[in-house]
Amino acid sequence: MMKNQNNIWVGTKDLTRDEKFMSEVDKEFVSLEDQIIDDNVGEVQANRRDFLKFLGFGLGAATVAAGCDIPVKRAIPYVVKPEEIVPGVATYYASSYVKGGDFCSILVKTREGRPIKIEGNDLCDMTQGGTSARAQASVLELYDTNRYRKPMLKDGDSWAESSWMTVDKMVGEALSQGSVRIITNTVLSPTAKKVMADFTAKYPSAKVVSYDPVSSAAILEANEKNFGQRAIPNYSFDKAKYIVSFGADFLGTWISPVEYTRQFAQGRKIKDVNSPAMSRLVCIENHMSLTGSNADNRVLVKPSQQSAAIAYLYNKVVGAGLSTQGLDATVTSKLDKIAKDLFAAESSLIVGGSNLTNDQLMINAINNKLGNYGKTLTMSGASLQRQGDEREVAALVNEMNSGAVNTVIVFDANPAYDYCEADKFTSALAKVNNRISLAYAPDETSALCNIVAPTHHVLESWGDAEPKQGHVSLIQPTISPLFETRQKELSMLAWSGANVSGDQPYYNYLKSNWSHGSFESALRDGVAGHSAGGSASYSAASISSPTKVSGGDVEISFVESVSLGNGQFAGNPWLLEMPDPITRTSWGTYLAVPVNFDGVRKFVGLNDLEDGDLVDVTIGSKTVTVPVIQQFGQMPGTVSLNLGGGRMAAGKAGTGVGVNVNDCLTVVDGRAQYYNTNVSVGSSKGKEEHFSAVQYFNTYGVKGTDAATGEEINADEATLGMAYGLSGYQGALVDRSVIYTTNQKDLKENLAELKKKRHHAQHLNEQTLYPDKEYEETRYTQGHHWGMHVDLNACTGCGACTVACMSENNVPVVGKKEVSKHHEMTWLRIDRYYYGDIENPNVVYQPLMCQHCDNAPCENVCPVNATNHSAEGLNQMTYNRCVGTRYCANNCPYKVRRFNWLDYTTADIFPANQPRIAGEEVPYGADNLTRMVLNPDVTVRSRGVIEKCSFCVQRIQEGKLTAKKEGRRLVDRDVRTACQTACPSGAITFGDQNDKKGELGKKLRSPLNYIALEEINVRSSVTYTMKVNNRDEAIS
Amino acid sequence: MIYNHLRNKSLLAICFALLSFTLIAEPTPDAGKTLFKNFCAQCHSKDMKTAATGPALGGASERWSDYPLSDLYSWIRNSQAMIASGHPRAAELWNEYKPTVMTAYPDLTDEEIASILLYVDGVNDGVYPPRPAGALPVGGEVTNESNNSWMYWLLLALLGALALILFRVTGSLGQIASEKTGEKYNPKSLLEALSTSGVIGFAIFALVLFAGYTTVTNAVNLGRQQGYAPDQPIKFSHETHAGINKIDCKYCHDGARRSKHAVIPAANTCMNCHRAIKAGSEYGTGELTKIFASVGYDPTTNKYVDESVKGDEYKAIFTKWIADNYKTEKGLEELDEEGEALVATQWSEIVSSLTNDQKKSIRGPIEWIRVHNLPDHVYFNHAQHVTVGQLDCQTCHGKVEEMKVLEQSAPLSMGWCINCHRETEVQFSDNEYYKSYVKYHDDIASGKKEKVTVSDIGGLECQKCHY
Repeated sequence: MMKNQNNIWVGTKDLTRDEKFMSEVDKEFVSLEDQIIDDNVGEVQANRRDFLKFLGFGLGAATVAAGCDIPVKRAIPYVVKPEEIVPGVATYYASSYVKGGDFCSILVKTREGRPIKIEGNDLCDMTQGGTSARAQASVLELYDTNRYRKPMLKDGDSWAESSWMTVDKMVGEALSQGSVRIITNTVLSPTAKKVMADFTAKYPSAKVVSYDPVSSAAILEANEKNFGQRAIPNYSFDKAKYIVSFGADFLGTWISPVEYTRQFAQGRKIKDVNSPAMSRLVCIENHMSLTGSNADNRVLVKPSQQSAAIAYLYNKVVGAGLSTQGLDATVTSKLDKIAKDLFAAESSLIVGGSNLTNDQLMINAINNKLGNYGKTLTMSGASLQRQGDEREVAALVNEMNSGAVNTVIVFDANPAYDYCEADKFTSALAKVNNRISLAYAPDETSALCNIVAPTHHVLESWGDAEPKQGHVSLIQPTISPLFETRQKELSMLAWSGANVSGDQPYYNYLKSNWSHGSFESALRDGVAGHSAGGSASYSAASISSPTKVSGGDVEISFVESVSLGNGQFAGNPWLLEMPDPITRTSWGTYLAVPVNFDGVRKFVGLNDLEDGDLVDVTIGSKTVTVPVIQQFGQMPGTVSLNLGGGRMAAGKAGTGVGVNVNDCLTVVDGRAQYYNTNVSVGSSKGKEEHFSAVQYFNTYGVKGTDAATGEEINADEATLGMAYGLSGYQGALVDRSVIYTTNQKDLKENLAELKKKRHHAQHLNEQTLYPDKEYEETRYTQGHHWGMHVDLNACTGCGACTVACMSENNVPVVGKKEVSKHHEMTWLRIDRYYYGDIENPNVVYQPLMCQHCDNAPCENVCPVNATNHSAEGLNQMTYNRCVGTRYCANNCPYKVRRFNWLDYTTADIFPANQPRIAGEEVPYGADNLTRMVLNPDVTVRSRGVIEKCSFCVQRIQEGKLTAKKEGRRLVDRDVRTACQTACPSGAITFGDQNDKKGELGKKLRSPLNYIALEEINVRSSVTYTMKVNNRDEAIS
Repeated sequence: MIYNHLRNKSLLAICFALLSFTLIAEPTPDAGKTLFKNFCAQCHSKDMKTAATGPALGGASERWSDYPLSDLYSWIRNSQAMIASGHPRAAELWNEYKPTVMTAYPDLTDEEIASILLYVDGVNDGVYPPRPAGALPVGGEVTNESNNSWMYWLLLALLGALALILFRVTGSLGQIASEKTGEKYNPKSLLEALSTSGVIGFAIFALVLFAGYTTVTNAVNLGRQQGYAPDQPIKFSHETHAGINKIDCKYCHDGARRSKHAVIPAANTCMNCHRAIKAGSEYGTGELTKIFASVGYDPTTNKYVDESVKGDEYKAIFTKWIADNYKTEKGLEELDEEGEALVATQWSEIVSSLTNDQKKSIRGPIEWIRVHNLPDHVYFNHAQHVTVGQLDCQTCHGKVEEMKVLEQSAPLSMGWCINCHRETEVQFSDNEYYKSYVKYHDDIASGKKEKVTVSDIGGLECQKCHY
């Protein structure tokens, strides 16, 4: 693959070497005029007189300020200091993050009693310290300004605040009418289930209706038929050598992605370059999913043919003769090869995202035939993370329509938005007299209710969770409830007549029902002992030929968003701003369209659509207008849209972002199918106003062709080259090292080449007039020399690190308009590169943060020495010195420096500079509630300064201090960066390069390592590994 | 013509002389006082007569009178270098005070040292601070005013007169010269002479220079509050607690050893002792009852009061306590008029100290006024300095044990921090952590390096304090 080094690209524009793009690449910042013109700030047309006025005002203000007394600051101590709190020292509590079926065992970092950061819990054997972007962002949700603050009653069309006493009385009256239905998403808590049981014991007519925003009901039904157990198997992706996924995005969204990512990465890390034993992942899908992007091979199959493809493999493996009509010959030949390899593989695992029971029965049969049960998946310790079935909701809709339901309690769900036939649900719900919501913040369903009994945030609640059988995890509150809310379980208990007086009644209830060993040790560890149930044995069930679905010319698939799920997380600004790992778009729903390659040079999107074009998509009877993103690896004849957009009640940030397509799903057999064949895509009808795809921003090391000479040049240096009439600046640098890839079987050959290349670069770097040798002898030879290692073979691009970084370092959210202007502030971005086959490429993700170059180009251009180097190898940024020339950012070859164009954090006093995300009155960042999430150890930057990754210097200093206080040497665990602790796959290692025995020291010895842009002699402190894939050319 | 030119030049020269006279710092005891506070007061006592960490400074100039003055100056700038050079007086002092090392101040100018010595001698001889004639010496600090400004005015007047004389002289010379050459002489009036472009230009130049100087000095001091000693809601005296009763600082400020904040103690820390000591040595029930009222402690029954007790009922607990104390003290059966007034004043004091616009309830935390404030962009960690660096609290906070009202003794400026980081030796050998500085250990072993300062291990770098 090394010979295909040229063939690494970020999108069509750099493949075609689009001239406009190329000339823009080196312009990291749009010109100031462009910046000012369409801004609210820009309405001020500054001229000479204004300048004088401002100058006068400035001087006047300074004089007044100088004359004023310093304001009196107060210091307010505790009256009775809690024993566990030392002001200024963080306290960690083990707890769990739970939202519906989403689970992550976490440690909550609190400062002076406020939760400010989520960390993974190493003691949990499911997640092993990993987290997801959603779990990381959950702390911001606690401080959501949109939350319900009091119980609410509907009064005509408006809402009125009420009291718990009134609400309880009203609910009591409603419940006495009988015929109660409780609607909820998956409930992971055994104690909450006990609460429900208590409730139904008191009201025997009550029934619990459970469904999931993205359904896995077919898997549950298939397993019930095969094993008599209604659960998701316990998968072990680490043990499988050959993994086939039929549209199950298990690294991104499917069931338990944090757990699966850790397992999968185990099988992908190269431990020994001489015998690289990697697993192989084949994805059979139409849309480039996060899992597909990490696959070695992708077999493109239209959504309507997914069942046929499963049946074909089933035929081949089990030896049946099901009808598989309509399947393309190119697909069948690949499936033949896959079937052959599956039999040859040491171990294998087949998973499928299909929501048809027949499909899942076939997948179970294949796994059974291949002997995978007991090896790579088992029903012992089965996962309980999906328990719902939308058929139950359909039944409820019928009941409600017939008038048989008097009261509906919405426990933890938003069916008016995310149920596949939401409009039917909405109209049926109107026929119910008493509609009670236990929502935490207003949503589409609570808007339809007449009583809202708001619940706590999970960080304010007691509770437990059983994500897998026998795997119990505890939830403990980390802050006193901020508002007059009541935990939903407690509300249910109160309504079922239990005594809920006292200080912490639900704690007492939880503790008295605890049966998993010591409660105190569970409280300390967050998790309790493991006792998985026995394994059920497989018994065959009848399987029929898949029903032929008449395919359309164009088919659309609907994909759960990695960040927003199916809208459950759409109110969270951190997640809204986090770009989709694949399309790299944020703040909106983007239509992924396939790119046609004419074989020479031209790339044309479906219907000639280009990035950012607005287009009408008619799905069934609904037409939505969405912006387009050209997507490599999207199957021709198919398009796809993310779920989770178009929320109509998701707070200030999330309301109206994107479009809602939940009502476009097809329903087969009572189950939601995440595709539609009745679709037509129009042609471009203009451009999206604020096209917020970060795909092409900050591209570095890109090559282009000089229009004049036709020679290959480096786009970063194009301007310079052209100005001097040169084709490229130092011609040798055209071939830049950004990404190295290889196939496993060519590893040896490519390692030799990498070695040669690095040697050459290092040789050139040594040719210097500066006394480098002397310098090296005095620098970094003692004390610390911080460095980082990123294993690109482990990184799946999930984005947990980017959100963790925002949370740790007070990185502001800038909103759609600013993102569209390349103004996103992320200190850590994950660059996504395609390589290999243009029509069906492989993907490599490169987390890119400040590289802390020891010969940093940014440092020597700063006129005020605001950025300089520390003796420990850190590239330091001093905000108070920065005057905002942006020279450093322009001189950064990695483009990792960010400029505060506006007052994103509202640290200034001039309100005109503060951007609004969604026209809110108080800017998002200025609200005192939101500001509670800020990390007090990190400066909040104001307008006009540059900022960038600091290698979490606050953690470094804290770690050093801990070691000093204990009078011992610093060890690896003392200093771990936020991105490192967030990573579910262990791809990031931070440490002291001088500590040869440390974790980092060991990793730095791998021959796979390289340094991005090593040839330009900036001596970066971040090391990447060559991406190794296990692609089988026979099925590509 | 040449005379005219000369005349202008001489005027300029006079103005320059005047200006330079005002700008160059003359040693004054006032400047010395500030310098003494900043640099010396941590180790040398203020009365100049008693020895503290360092010797009493009174009469230092005399003790050094056997040697040239420059020796004393170098001693103050860098005592260790003098000791190393084998100076007899230096060796004598070292033998008396070792191993305590005096911090070096290489940046002190001769004028500054002279100012300090003027101040030291002034205090020692009792002539500083100067008192107005006839005033009796009274206790407490007397605000001092500059008493030598008349000298400036006198000099200014003299120079002005000189300038006038010179102006006349040059005028006469001009006249004589014109008489000789036969040119017609136009005598210039004073106004004309002062409005020539040269003089105006110079005046503008001087003004800009002066304005710039003032702006910079004031801007540097903007936001600094050395000497800040606000009245606190409770007249808590550090002198009583840390000085007389010798309570360790870290007993109450328990964060200092383990956190970035030293922590203002919670009121229940006060109660550890004040459940037994219920009347203060100075104010009796006056101040201590405030603590009881803030935590809800009934000193009569020695019990904490239930949260539900409010209003007059709550008030009655404390007014009773104050009244009972008064009665016992005076041996009275019934409260007299004076006693009633005392109860009323003390209660109104309690109310005004413990409540404000935001805090309506008496019960609840005491809102102290922060004395030491660092800007938000500065990261400072007490544990680093107290536990790791093993510094005395007094190094930065001054002689707190002598303060009745707490005062910010150090400027808390960046220059002040940096200077200490340059001078302070790292506890290098005792802490295993520093083992990773192999080269420095080797250098110390081989004698190449005497000590490792904070700046040697990166203590001057931006991101040690700003991130």
